[in-house]
Amino acid sequence: MSELAHTNHTEKKDFLVRSSSLKDVRSFCREVFEKLNIDQNLKDELVLAIAEAAQNIVKHAYKNAPDTEDKMVVQISCKDNKLQIGFYDMGTPVDPGKVKHREIDNIKPGGLGTFFIQQIMDAVEFKDGKKPWINHLVLTKQL
Amino acid sequence: MTYKVEEIDAKRIVHLSGEIDMDVADKARQTILPLIEAGHEVHLNLSKVDYMDSSGISVLIESKKLSEQKNTKFELVEVSKQVEKVLAMARKFL
Repeated sequence: MSELAHTNHTEKKDFLVRSSSLKDVRSFCREVFEKLNIDQNLKDELVLAIAEAAQNIVKHAYKNAPDTEDKMVVQISCKDNKLQIGFYDMGTPVDPGKVKHREIDNIKPGGLGTFFIQQIMDAVEFKDGKKPWINHLVLTKQL
Repeated sequence: MTYKVEEIDAKRIVHLSGEIDMDVADKARQTILPLIEAGHEVHLNLSKVDYMDSSGISVLIESKKLSEQKNTKFELVEVSKQVEKVLAMARKFL
């Protein structure tokens, strides 16, 4: 890990809940990680994990609302070398017990995104969404 | 994402470039699967793909499965460093 340019830093941005927003989510993350001076390898992995989590919001929390005008918020915080990424959305409530990657012997691609998130991040936690939010997901990684 | 298809006899070499995510996975799928469906041997070049997520991996899995059903060949011929990293992670899962 490179030395951080900013040890304490927080940025957040909202995005329309659409698959076409995923590119913008990635650009936002890359910009923030650039400021945090995170090395390229880790940056690529973090961007993938964040984009997969945002994709899960589009794909699952808004499964029945493809044309929604709702926005999701992505917040990236770095404090004392601990990176915390928060996701807020107003979609269908997520049942944390049902969020898991599939069994390894089931040769289907579904669930791979969740597997990537779990591989890359140290912790994945669903918190109670405070109004107006329904879902609040927090991913953490020690830098 | 952009693509180019090269035809060499019955073989089709599909070159994808750019970023492959959920938003464009269908375009990749609609480029590759009909070629396999038509019985072509498909070689996929991903050397110019600089981002791929689980949606892109899904397209590769579907393509491989369809090629097995159609008794033809589906192969990756070149992959970028970024794609190789994602494939390595996916291999732990698949």
